[in-house]
Amino acid sequence: MKGVAITGMGIISSIGNSVVENYISLIENKIGISSIQNIPTVHADVIKVGEIKKTNEELVAELQLSENNNFSRTAMIGTLAARQAVENAGITSINEFRTGLISATSVGGMDMTEKHYYDYFEKPELVKYITCHDGGDVAEKIAEELGLKGMVTTISTACSSAANSIMLGARLIKTGKLDRVIVGGADALAKFTINGFKTLMILSDDYNKPFDNTRKGLNLGEAAAFLILESDEIVAKQNKKVLARVSGYGNANDAFHQTASSENGDGAYLAMKKAFEVSGLKPSQIDYINVHGTATPNNDLSEGRALRRIYKDEKVPDFSSTKPFTGHTLAAAAAIEAVYSVLAIQNNVVYPNLNFEVPMEEFDLKPQTSLKNKTIEHVLSNSFGFGGNCSTLIFSKS
Amino acid sequence: MISNKTNIQSYIKIENNEIVLNGTSVFKTEPTDFADFAKQAYRNFEMQYPKFFKMDALSKLAFLGSELLLSPIVSAEKENNIALVLANKSSSLDTDVKYQESISDKENYFPSPAVFVYTLPNICLGEISIRHQLKSENSFFIFDAFNGEFLSNYSNILLNTNKADLVLCGWTEFFNDNYKAFLCIISAAENENYKNENINTLYHK
Repeated sequence: MKGVAITGMGIISSIGNSVVENYISLIENKIGISSIQNIPTVHADVIKVGEIKKTNEELVAELQLSENNNFSRTAMIGTLAARQAVENAGITSINEFRTGLISATSVGGMDMTEKHYYDYFEKPELVKYITCHDGGDVAEKIAEELGLKGMVTTISTACSSAANSIMLGARLIKTGKLDRVIVGGADALAKFTINGFKTLMILSDDYNKPFDNTRKGLNLGEAAAFLILESDEIVAKQNKKVLARVSGYGNANDAFHQTASSENGDGAYLAMKKAFEVSGLKPSQIDYINVHGTATPNNDLSEGRALRRIYKDEKVPDFSSTKPFTGHTLAAAAAIEAVYSVLAIQNNVVYPNLNFEVPMEEFDLKPQTSLKNKTIEHVLSNSFGFGGNCSTLIFSKS
Repeated sequence: MISNKTNIQSYIKIENNEIVLNGTSVFKTEPTDFADFAKQAYRNFEMQYPKFFKMDALSKLAFLGSELLLSPIVSAEKENNIALVLANKSSSLDTDVKYQESISDKENYFPSPAVFVYTLPNICLGEISIRHQLKSENSFFIFDAFNGEFLSNYSNILLNTNKADLVLCGWTEFFNDNYKAFLCIISAAENENYKNENINTLYHK
């Protein structure tokens, strides 16, 4: 059990524009949930979101894109995070080894499509945005910006997307198909997701409260994060610093409903079980669980029951959801939470599950509510997507 | 080494208002549209699964085929490690177009979440998984034309690497009321009945 080496990370979210900024926010209770500014929506007064307070124009300037670019917001924040990760890993020659990019998204270029949809026939200058609609365009854009010529692919499995991209990357390294892979995801806020989740009646009008008995739903967020995974050969050859390792992963099908999780968390249970099998770890060896914890009535009940099933009569380790800080960043969620998991290992901390007050009546699970310092060897991180796509990752100290 | 032999256990074809199971016609109607044909088939086989009626056409097509192949072999008592590998040409375009029509007019704008969830082709795999409680591997592929070789290879890899005990694989194509489904069950064990057949020969039969 050694796992695949993580040698770099990059992130942009509503709680910071870099890994350091995100970490400071997490340990100083600086939340990123606020009123929406960048998207005009009729729901502006009733929803709160984890928004990156940069306009598209500011992002274009920061990335130094040409005026005739057709970057979606998702591609812009994705590029920012991926560049940071590459730099953090000390990569100066991107095509030196067999390097790939696996990027997750659910929104893709939908933000531009919904903005310009009715104008395409009248305004030819906007037509350039049609080709950025495709989910795969985000990864292609990032690869182009990085000058990457290797394998580029996109995973879109709703809220477990980035977990699956990390998992696929780890498997490609393990089987020797790639030497190095940039894995993660990006999702910008869009009316598409705001209205969709509103229709499903799972948006909270308040700050989200994971695992609380009175939780009312989620706050949407936007973010991008990427990690660099490298083979042990490259790590040894270049004497690379290993931040942590991907030691376990599992993906399972809940087989229950298009947009809801099963009552007993079958998929969640199976995903965790598989991740333990891959890692060779016992559940009791986990020091911190970064739960999916979206604060919807359905997710937290289902996930909690799955945790109870995994731990049986044992005590469930310290756990928390970081979504009160960032909101639910959908396809990017597992990537930003992977960064947070690595930071938990590096700094030996458990982040607080903010806004928690009343334990759920269905079981005796209470998240960690304040910052806790303790030795962290192994972190388990859950991400469950619509369609019953459930994924678990385990990160371990190198 | 991956075995190249594809061991077909059973197969089904749905096209032109007819269902042919293992080479025998088991249901046929007068020429009618798919919605009516599907409803009649559902009733004929007394399927007892009301969720069927909310499915889109592609899911109904895949469901009808898989139902007749899987019902005799799926057990409620044990885990059924049956992988699903389907493919088609038109993806979910039939439902995509219907959904697009519901939002194309700014003044007459009625997006339905119940339709929206079917604007992906792999939803039909979800419907089959939910029906039979399959927590196994599944994947949906889009090809320009039927690709028996790909389906055989992919299924054999799943079987040879112990990712699945059985594979339900095939072609489920639906667009503008033109449809064709060809599904088969593949296992590691040889079946005398189809010893000299493969996915391509049965598809074109």
